[in-house]
Amino acid sequence: MDPVTIDTTKIKSIKRKPVTALEKLEDTGLISTVLAAREREGLILLSTIDQVFNWARLSSLWPVTSGLACCAIEMMGVAMAHHDIARFGMEIFRASPRQADLMFVAGTVTKRMAPRVKQLYEMMPDPKWVIAVGSCASTGGPYHESYSVLKGVDLIIPVDVYIPGCPPRPEAWLYAIIQLREKIKNEGYGAKWGLNK
Amino acid sequence: MNPAEELKQKLPSAVVSIGIQVNKPMAVIKKEELLNAAQKVKEMGFDHLSVITGIDYMDHFEVVYNFFSYAKKQNLALKVITDHEDPEVDSLTSLWKGADWLERETYDLVGIKFIGHPNLVRILLPDGWIGHPLRKDYDMDTEQFVTIGEGGEDIVSTDGSNLLRRK
Repeated sequence: MDPVTIDTTKIKSIKRKPVTALEKLEDTGLISTVLAAREREGLILLSTIDQVFNWARLSSLWPVTSGLACCAIEMMGVAMAHHDIARFGMEIFRASPRQADLMFVAGTVTKRMAPRVKQLYEMMPDPKWVIAVGSCASTGGPYHESYSVLKGVDLIIPVDVYIPGCPPRPEAWLYAIIQLREKIKNEGYGAKWGLNK
Repeated sequence: MNPAEELKQKLPSAVVSIGIQVNKPMAVIKKEELLNAAQKVKEMGFDHLSVITGIDYMDHFEVVYNFFSYAKKQNLALKVITDHEDPEVDSLTSLWKGADWLERETYDLVGIKFIGHPNLVRILLPDGWIGHPLRKDYDMDTEQFVTIGEGGEDIVSTDGSNLLRRK
């Protein structure tokens, strides 16, 4: 990002009653921090706490180890060396949902499995994200007219990214992971100010 | 002589008709004579009961038993025809232990009762599921949902209020 330049001519009238927004900012005492930073070569990196958190969150998404059907085989393919999601800092599939912040719903969600999937999701700590993998988890897929399959996992838990395919190729998973990272980047304050670079 | 013809020769009173189905010898058995015929089939060397199937033909049910002999490398299919109102056949668990789960599955999905089965409860769907889904008259319009109860047991409901995010 561009270095922020501070116009120091405007911050001299510190004894005057604060009128402008910048003067009010001086009055709070916060401006002295900016001045101190200016003395260190005048390069200041501005951000919001949200963006720092987002950067930390998207850099180490830990998925929960759960596979429901054949999509889970592709999940192994994504995790292994050829496609290597360790590049995104998410190679650690946690065996406990308490330590995970991402859930791949990889496969067919049957009626009997649905409350268990929901329980897994509720056991994960906030913030948490869900990727619905394949046509079964997205809509029910080939089992849409079935008596025993839930018509999309978004009926029971919120879903961030849907991946079409039956099962989707690992490249599609990687694209979905990149999309999710973009989404996390734009959460909270600061994104509209251009701080989410 | 294929196994179906052999069975008809040994038990002419029990076999209604014989034929070939999907390249396998097939014999239609009288419902009352099923245990006798199965006993004979086992004596003929069919040591493996691979599949039990129930078929709904709207006016009657058909139960299909697929046998295989590891020694002779032969297949044999037995068919029993039951009425539609109260489908009941004898259980084969006394002859083949593997019939236990196969008969439970057939009971679960088609609703055929096996007389003499030691533990005839549903095997795939939870207890309390309404109807048998592979029947032609199964009600596909009322969707059923499963939730987990206090003690970890499955509870079947038709509204899904504890499960769904919105109705």
